[in-house]
Amino acid sequence: MKKWLSIVLALALCLTALAGCGPKTPPETTDGSKDTQAPPSQASGTEGAPAASELKFAVLAPITGNYAEFGKAFEVATKMAADEINAEGGVNGRPISLTVYDTKGDATESADIARQLVGQDDIMGVIGDFSSTACMADAPIFGDAGMVLLSPTASHSDFTPMNDYMFSIMGRTDDESRFFISSLVKDYKGADNIGIIYTNSDWGNQCNSSMMDQAAKDGLTVVADEPYTEGEIDFTNVLNKVKNQNPELLVLIMQTVDCANALNAIAQMGWDIDTVCQGASASQQVIELAGENAEGLCSTTSFFIDENVPREKEWLDKFVAGAGFTPTVHAAVAYDAVYIMAEAAKSCGDNVTREGIREGLANLGEYIGFTGPIEFDETGAIFRKVLIVQIENGTYVRRTDYNYGNQ
Amino acid sequence: MEYILIQFVNGLCQGSIYALMAIGYASIVGVTGLVTFAYGEVMMIGAFAAYYTFQYFADQLLVGILASFAAAACMGFLVYKICYERFFDKPRHISLICTIGFSMLVKNLAQILFGANTKAMPSVIQNFFLDIGPVRINAVQLIIVATVIGLSGALYLLFNKTQAGIRLRAVNQSRQAAALVGINVKRTILFGNCLGCGIGGTAGMLLAIYYQSLSPTIGSTFGNKAFASAVAGGMTSIPWAAGGGVLIGVIENIGTAFLPNSYRDVFAFVFLFIVLLLRPEGLSKKEGIRP
Repeated sequence: MKKWLSIVLALALCLTALAGCGPKTPPETTDGSKDTQAPPSQASGTEGAPAASELKFAVLAPITGNYAEFGKAFEVATKMAADEINAEGGVNGRPISLTVYDTKGDATESADIARQLVGQDDIMGVIGDFSSTACMADAPIFGDAGMVLLSPTASHSDFTPMNDYMFSIMGRTDDESRFFISSLVKDYKGADNIGIIYTNSDWGNQCNSSMMDQAAKDGLTVVADEPYTEGEIDFTNVLNKVKNQNPELLVLIMQTVDCANALNAIAQMGWDIDTVCQGASASQQVIELAGENAEGLCSTTSFFIDENVPREKEWLDKFVAGAGFTPTVHAAVAYDAVYIMAEAAKSCGDNVTREGIREGLANLGEYIGFTGPIEFDETGAIFRKVLIVQIENGTYVRRTDYNYGNQ
Repeated sequence: MEYILIQFVNGLCQGSIYALMAIGYASIVGVTGLVTFAYGEVMMIGAFAAYYTFQYFADQLLVGILASFAAAACMGFLVYKICYERFFDKPRHISLICTIGFSMLVKNLAQILFGANTKAMPSVIQNFFLDIGPVRINAVQLIIVATVIGLSGALYLLFNKTQAGIRLRAVNQSRQAAALVGINVKRTILFGNCLGCGIGGTAGMLLAIYYQSLSPTIGSTFGNKAFASAVAGGMTSIPWAAGGGVLIGVIENIGTAFLPNSYRDVFAFVFLFIVLLLRPEGLSKKEGIRP
């Protein structure tokens, strides 16, 4: 009996370890079948396509971990785009195949997977990862191998200049942070003194330094500027520290789960403070986790789905059917990333190579994507306009009553 | 000065949570004589048991405490059967490694069963505030402190006024001697382990209520804090483990009043180093019982 129990437990340990490691081993392909080692015709998103003609791309996404919501969004949105492209005949007649790898929101894990991918000659390019930190860890690996990494969301200004193979379509953090201070904090909220709490990551540090610069230019007083360790659960301590400086407005620089935890802690300690957040975007997860504590929170986002526009409503419904939750800008840019990658592959004609993909992206020109115009600058980044949204009655509402609101 | 006072009170509340975790940890180490690294996951299971109880059965704190205690105690039974039972006479690192493997198994299984996303813990405590001068204490903090004091009292009575408690203390002091006077050592260790895990599960539930969220990875961070608190207290002494937890909570909060919040864990673990350098046996006066 004990032997059997030991065997069963040992097997369970192996299975869960495999599941936890994610698609370092058996990844998910566009049609939901498992493993790149499966016959290529089965891995294709288009039934009956010849195996040899497939164009393979990898998707790096945090399917598990703190950023799981975004990872799932990447997975669903990229699959939607790949299915649409394949239904239209693929790229120059070749169907595209995406393989999703779970990087767990961890830069080390992401870099490990990057090392595996550069050795797989049939993969022409990579879409991902989610965080700037992970992308910056991957950049030297892909750069040395001459393979494109097109991140839908990495926004750190140092990412794309790292080498010629790095591209991002999110817009730069420093641009958004400057807008955040000038338009949201000063113009829309009319605040004069603020307290800032920021996540101690590459992204968070850059947001913070850009905000500090802009605050100095705009004549704002920053009474507290406190970092916290990424993944922190207890915000009471840091909130008390900022509260002690008596700011008029609290600026949070953090992603969704942390933002929700901070809002809950603010309510629990009974602090009546107006709060704004860069990083929460228009995430439904903030509302789910913080409930009414999130009411009134303002944040910035570069894309906001308007349900009155038929194409956007159709896209939204399709995404929700696949993911089970409302998308943020992160899903929409992941969707665009597949189209842009396909566009670059199309420019290669019959001979698609990794270098050809890079050339195609660099010479893309202005591309009108689902999230708006996308045009890479010489570093591989793009500029995006940013919107202000606010949580009102449990849903996000776009705000336009500030100086640049209708532009 | 007011701010320091507020941080001190916050530290006491924070430390109470560490204390509750450390009490469970010290109970386990005290009776088994073995260090566990599956404690964080036991706490996580307790938190999820309470979460599903609140979701589907009753949103009452007492029911949650019972559910989390029972689920975590069952985990304690599994830990005992898999990681301890056959290794009491073997080198200690075998059971220790076994608990590390078990914790990985539970964490990954939890991600598969419960989902990897963070979940919102239902609010089962009606929040209110108690203002004492510049210090504001909320209902959750009060209930946590009350639960820690209540559980500590109950454990004191259990250990000192009941037959089961006397058996636990006897096994704590010497397994061989306990066996010689007719105590069923294995059964007593099993009971002690389940009891410690049950307390850990309750601590996990309170943590989830305090932070209003839970995820399968919640145990990792707090398991380390529980371990640090118990080590500071001397590993096997329940009152000193609780004291270690409170001290770590206070030191973290006072420390971050002067330095950036990112150094929070640094204060906790530097304090632990200092304690171990000055008193390798921990704050407890008992000597020679560290596993």
